Amino acid sequence: MEAVIFFIAAIGAVGGAIGVVAARNPFYSVLALIAHLFSLAVLFLLLTSAFVAAAQVVVYAGAVMVLYVFVVAYVGSAQEAKWDPVPGQRLFAGLLAFFLFVEISAAVLSSGLRALSTHGPDVPAGFGDPAAIGNLLLEKFLVPFEASSVLLLIAAVGAIVLAGRKRQGEALGASK
Amino acid sequence: MSGAGFAAPHVDYAATAPIIALTVGLVVILMSGVFETTKRWAPGLAVMTLAATAGLLLWHWNDQIDLIAGALRVDNLAISISLIAIVSAFSTILLSIRERAAEEAGQGEYYALLIGSVLGMVLLSEAENLVTFFVAIETLSIPLYILCATNLRREGSLESGLKYLIVGSLGSATLLYGMAFIYGGTGSTDFAGIAHGIQANGMLHDPLILIGIALAAVGLAFKTSIAPFHQWTPDVYQGAPTPITNFMAVATKAAAFAVFVRFFVVALGPETGDWQLGLAILAAISIVVGNVGAIGQDSLKRLLGYSGVAQAGYMLGGIVVASEKGLSSLVFYLAAYLFMNLAAFAVIVARERETPYGDDIRGVRGLMAERPSLAWPLTISMLALAGLPATAGFIGKLYLIEALVEGSYTWLAVFIAVGTMISLAYYLRVVAAMWMGGEETAAGTSAAPGATPVISGASPEADPVDPEAGRRWYLLAPAVIAAGITVFLGVIPQPLVDFATHAGSSLF
Repeated sequence: MEAVIFFIAAIGAVGGAIGVVAARNPFYSVLALIAHLFSLAVLFLLLTSAFVAAAQVVVYAGAVMVLYVFVVAYVGSAQEAKWDPVPGQRLFAGLLAFFLFVEISAAVLSSGLRALSTHGPDVPAGFGDPAAIGNLLLEKFLVPFEASSVLLLIAAVGAIVLAGRKRQGEALGASK
Repeated sequence: MSGAGFAAPHVDYAATAPIIALTVGLVVILMSGVFETTKRWAPGLAVMTLAATAGLLLWHWNDQIDLIAGALRVDNLAISISLIAIVSAFSTILLSIRERAAEEAGQGEYYALLIGSVLGMVLLSEAENLVTFFVAIETLSIPLYILCATNLRREGSLESGLKYLIVGSLGSATLLYGMAFIYGGTGSTDFAGIAHGIQANGMLHDPLILIGIALAAVGLAFKTSIAPFHQWTPDVYQGAPTPITNFMAVATKAAAFAVFVRFFVVALGPETGDWQLGLAILAAISIVVGNVGAIGQDSLKRLLGYSGVAQAGYMLGGIVVASEKGLSSLVFYLAAYLFMNLAAFAVIVARERETPYGDDIRGVRGLMAERPSLAWPLTISMLALAGLPATAGFIGKLYLIEALVEGSYTWLAVFIAVGTMISLAYYLRVVAAMWMGGEETAAGTSAAPGATPVISGASPEADPVDPEAGRRWYLLAPAVIAAGITVFLGVIPQPLVDFATHAGSSLF
C-alpha cells in the first residue's frame, strides 16, 4: 500500500515539476507547481512527518501560491523572448542538468547507507509531530529560531526600502 | 505527550552578549529612523553598536565556549573574524556619510540593514551547526541584496542588487542541497556530530558524503566569489554603492571563509584527503581567472572585483592545507586585505564625488599632482594588493606560501607567485595613471566640465559633484589610516601575526 502511494506521489511530483518548466502559460505553471507541492506533502506524510506535510500545504500550496497567482495575474503573460539570450544556453543548461542527475543518481545508488533499500528506519512514536518539532525549535535550535525572527524583520525592512524606492521614483516623475 | 519533556537550553548570556548587543542596536537604529530629529543619529548609533559589540567580543578573547545546545562556538577564530567584519562595517559607516544611497534608503533603514548584515557575519563565524550556519548566511546576505540596490537613481544599482539576489539564492540553494546530503549521510547537524557520524556510520569516502561536500563547496565558493562561481562579482561590485562594495568585498569574504574553514576542518575533518585537491584546483582557477580578468578593466570597482576573485584564490590556499599555519595565514591575509581594500575604496568614493567620471580610471588620472593625500593611499593600496615588500600584502602572501609549502602544496604556492606577477600589470596601471598623465591627458579624453560623459555604470547626475570630497575627514582619515596600517604591518607585522596565530590555534 505504501509503495503504491509512494509511486503515485512521486510521479505526481516529477510530473508537476516538468509541468512548471514546460507550460507556456504562466497560470498553468503555477497550477503545476501546486500539484507538485501537494505530491511532496504526500511524500512527507509517508516519511511520518505530519507537521512538515501540513506546513507544506498551508504555507506553500496555500500562502505562497496565492502570491504567485497574484503576481502572474498582475504582471500578465507578457510575450517572453523566444530566442536564447545566450546562444546555446538551453542545450548547455540541459547538459548540466543531465550531468547533475547522473552524478546524484550515482551517489545515491552507490552509497553505503544501510537503510536505503529497506523499508526505512524505525522511528519512535511522536517523531515529527508538532510537539516534537516545537521542542526542537526551542531547545536544540533556539539560536536559529531566534535568528530567523531577526532575519524576517530585516527582510521586511528591505521590502519597505525597495517599495519606498518606487514611491520616490514616482514623486520624481511627477515633479518633472 | 512529548511536550512534557521540554527542557530549556542553558543560555550563557555573557558569551551571547555580542549578538544581543547587535540585535538591540539594530532595533534601536530602526526606531531612530521614525522621527525626523532622531534620523540623524542613525550613523552614531551604528558606531556605538559596533563599538559595544567589539568590546564584548574582546572580553571573550582566548575563551572556548560552546553556546546554547551547540549552536554557536565562541573562540578566537570567531572573535577575530567578527572584529574584521566590525572594522569593515565601521569604515563603511564613515564612507557612507553624505552618500546618496544612505539618504535614499532612509538613514535608519540603511544602517539597520548594515548592522543586520554584521549580525549575520558574527553568527556565521560562530556557527557550529548546519541550521545556524544556513540561517546566519541568509542573515548576512539578505541585507546586502537590499543595500546593493539602494542607490535609487543609478540603474546599475538595481541591476546589481537583483543579480546578487539571484546568484546568491542559487549559491544558498546549492549549499543547502549539499548540507542535506551531509545530514542524510551522518544523521547529525552539529559539526562535531557530522565528523563523528562519518566515522561511526562507515561513511568515509562514501559518494553520498562526497557529493554533499562538493555541493557545499560550490555554495560557499559563490559566497566567497571563487572562480568559476565569480561571474556576479564584478557586476555587483560596480553597481553597488561604493561604501557597500567596500563592506561586501572584505566582511562577506571574511565571514564566509570563517565558516568555510570551520565546516571543512571540524565537520569534514575525516574527509580532509578528499576535499583538499578539489579546493586547491578551485584556488588555482580563481587566481588565474581573477588576475587575467582584471587586466584591461577601466572601472576601478570592476578591477577590484576581479582582484578580489584572485585574492579569494590566494586565501583559499590557507584552507587547502588544513593546518594551524594555514588558518593563521588566512586570518592574517583577511585582516591585511581589510586595510588594503579600505584605502582603495575610500579614495574611489572621494573621486566619485569629486569628478564626473564615477569609478572610471580617468577619475584618478594625475591624482598625484592634484591630491597627493589621496594618491599616496591608493598607491600604497595597489602595491600592497600586488604584494610588494614593506606592505602587509607581502607578509600575508609570504605566510600563505610558507603554509602551502609546509603542507606540500608547493604547486599552489607557485600559482600564487605567478598570479602576483600577472597582477602587477593592472595594479601598476592604476599607479601609473595617478603619477603620470596630468592635466593634458585628462583634457584630451574628457569633455568639458559639466558635460555628460558617457561612462558605463556611472551617470553624473546620480552622484552630486562635491569638489572638496577629497579633503573631507571622513574620507581622508580612513584612506590615510588604512594605508598607514598597511605599511606599518608590512614593516612590523608582529602584532597581527600574534592576532592571527591566536585565531589559528582555535581549531587545531
